Amino acid sequence: MFVLAMISFTGAYAQMPNDAVYMSKNTACLALSYTHSSWDKYWENTLKRENLNIGTQTTQVGMAMLAVGVTKNLNVIVSLPYIWTQASAGNMKWSKGFQDVGGWVKYRFYNKAGLSLNAVVGASIPSSNYVPDFMPLSIGLQCKTATGRLVARYRHKTGIYATAYGSYILRSKITIDRDSYLMGETLYNTNRVSVPNAFDYSARVGFTNKAIQTEVYAERNECVNGDYIRRNGMPFPTNNMKSTTVGWYGKFQPKNIGFNARVAYVTRGENVGQAMTYSAGLLYQFRYLKSGK
Amino acid sequence: MNKIYNSRGRAAFFATGLFLAFTVFSCSKTVDEPTASINNPSTLDENAGTWKPYILASSSEVPVDEPKAATSAEYIAEIAKLKETMAGVTPQQRDQINYWGAGAAYRWNEIARELAARYNSPPAVNAEGKYPVPDAANPLADPKFPFANPPYTARALAYLSVAQYDALVSAWNYKFKYNRKAPSKIDASIKAILPVSDLPSYPSEDAVVAAASYTILKAMFPGEIPFLDAKLAEHKNSRLLAGMNVESDIVAGSALGNAVGAKVMARAKTDGMGAANNQAKTADMIANALKIGISQPWKSQEFPARPPMLPTYGSVLTWNFNTATVATLRPIAPPAIGSPEYEENMNELLSIAKSQTREQARIANFWSDGVGSYTPPGHWHRKAATLAHDNNFSEVRTARTFALVGTAMQDAGICCWDAKYYYYYPRPNQMSSKVKTSVGLPNFPSYTSGHSMFSGAAAEVLAHIFPSEKANVDAMAVEASVSRIYGLIHYRFDCEQGLATGHKVGNYAVQRAMTDGAEK
Repeated sequence: MFVLAMISFTGAYAQMPNDAVYMSKNTACLALSYTHSSWDKYWENTLKRENLNIGTQTTQVGMAMLAVGVTKNLNVIVSLPYIWTQASAGNMKWSKGFQDVGGWVKYRFYNKAGLSLNAVVGASIPSSNYVPDFMPLSIGLQCKTATGRLVARYRHKTGIYATAYGSYILRSKITIDRDSYLMGETLYNTNRVSVPNAFDYSARVGFTNKAIQTEVYAERNECVNGDYIRRNGMPFPTNNMKSTTVGWYGKFQPKNIGFNARVAYVTRGENVGQAMTYSAGLLYQFRYLKSGK
Repeated sequence: MNKIYNSRGRAAFFATGLFLAFTVFSCSKTVDEPTASINNPSTLDENAGTWKPYILASSSEVPVDEPKAATSAEYIAEIAKLKETMAGVTPQQRDQINYWGAGAAYRWNEIARELAARYNSPPAVNAEGKYPVPDAANPLADPKFPFANPPYTARALAYLSVAQYDALVSAWNYKFKYNRKAPSKIDASIKAILPVSDLPSYPSEDAVVAAASYTILKAMFPGEIPFLDAKLAEHKNSRLLAGMNVESDIVAGSALGNAVGAKVMARAKTDGMGAANNQAKTADMIANALKIGISQPWKSQEFPARPPMLPTYGSVLTWNFNTATVATLRPIAPPAIGSPEYEENMNELLSIAKSQTREQARIANFWSDGVGSYTPPGHWHRKAATLAHDNNFSEVRTARTFALVGTAMQDAGICCWDAKYYYYYPRPNQMSSKVKTSVGLPNFPSYTSGHSMFSGAAAEVLAHIFPSEKANVDAMAVEASVSRIYGLIHYRFDCEQGLATGHKVGNYAVQRAMTDGAEK
């Protein structure tokens, strides 16, 4: 799950905040997705290890997401995940609850000869008062986040395309229930915790036509700084989490109703679990303004 | 729709979004901690040289030479040197002066809590499936020495506080015996950076505390000697830079602090802590538990099973009563497993496991004081430090507060560990896999709750020293106690018996406080 905290905005969606696909004007797409992510090994700092008192950590996510085409070059996306965590061994209490409401605005400011450039801004705020520092079984970090992202895509007329993006994620300080904690070797006598900012970048290649989309991708998530999981300790929101993920995404949407799926695997990391993730989603596209002209 | 208007609106919307996204929260990553103001004691505690020490036979056991007179050439030279030192104070040094100005015992107690947190890591399992025991001779190897768990930290903080207190009682004796005035009272041209009282400056109370604290902490945390060296030097130097002491005040204080620290450490070396992890005794303990009716003795719930924490810590030397008293403070037997009382307590936990409220989780987390923390004794030392500071206690009265609370808490830990390994009672999590913890499961028997005992003892002492805080500290102790029920690692009877016994243990320290000479 440590990964989840960083990638909670990349589920399996029709129009994702990290692609260059747009809903046309006056249409919207509602996506309901289910994600299953689990790991039985994690990186304690750089040491890859198992933990028999966690066994396999599993995070499941049910997510509702709505993408709205305001114009053909401007989409708005909102999402809300419900998350369950569990561990197959040990005595740590499992968690569940609504995590963070996310909102995105995606704007295509250049679109010529198959090349599009897109600016995306997003923000998220926790939707419930979940406990952020009972990791790895917390459902999130309680941060407010703001993300700025640039997405470039080139699509050949054959339908083959390549996408690249990079983003910077501002993360707010959080408040925990305890009033002291260690960050690095320093004891902080306060309940306020500084969570490091993060960035990500990704490259994707695929094929798309009216009904089908299929792509493979690699992405890298990193905090800009932070401390590490202490020897034999549990993770903490201040950790410098890093991960490299490879994955496949596919979508089949011949008409209004469609499906999508995603498989992702963390190949390298620090202070995160080596998660294998599966997602499946149901898509429903509709016109919300019949008279829109 | 008007196309131009539309595109303008779009751009404005986009810009607004960007602006909002990057300004809704501050980009600063600095976390503000509560700052401690400069201590300005409300009393001199002139007769503290007559207060009863813990280890020393009297406040004059360690000799301190008479200082040179204020009119002597040596002293005049020291004053001249002090002025030179003060002339070059940098802003960073001024910060250090103010930091240490919050109080010597106050800061060293805080440092010790930080070290406890850094070292509060249970050893990782090795390739053979065993948990290696930390090695004091190789403190920075994996696992690091010490594993500063609650009994270890209770002891380290007790010794630290006792050494500070005994050293300060001695220092007060010599201060008022020799009556050397503060440098700025002798030479009006010295403008001290911190408040100056009529407290005699020889030997320096800051140097006394620094040296005594250093002596204890380097023994308790042998991997931190470079860190402690730097703190020691910074502390002593801050007093010169601030114009509070001349060099000979510091030198005499350091010698006194070192000597008292060594005497206190002599007790530590023979208090039985070295034998507190005698795992060979657990077979007999389990046999005894079965004999007295504990039908399912405690078992480690970790994989692989981890040897229980310090099974013979109950035999470590106590502070405020003798070793024979420990067994008399042992609480009544817990309910028989399967009895109606047991079932009732278990049902409470099953119900919390199913529907723990957010407030219960908050209380459990606030008091969790688990791995990577300064433990419950650290939590209560922090409370004691805050109260002593808020009440403008003198250096010696602050150290006395720590010593009374610290020794009471180690005594509580000893009594608690005695009960835990006498009854060897299983944790609720062992009895039902439906009970999972929201704070982390300690690896030792359940009855009684350590948090409850530490908290009862600390609250008893703090309520005596700060009578107006009684309701507050008692409520804190109750909350710390029930937090272990809410965190799903203790039955209610563990907590109630632990809290009551903790108060009884604390009362021994209160009896001492009433006769140590400080309340006359």
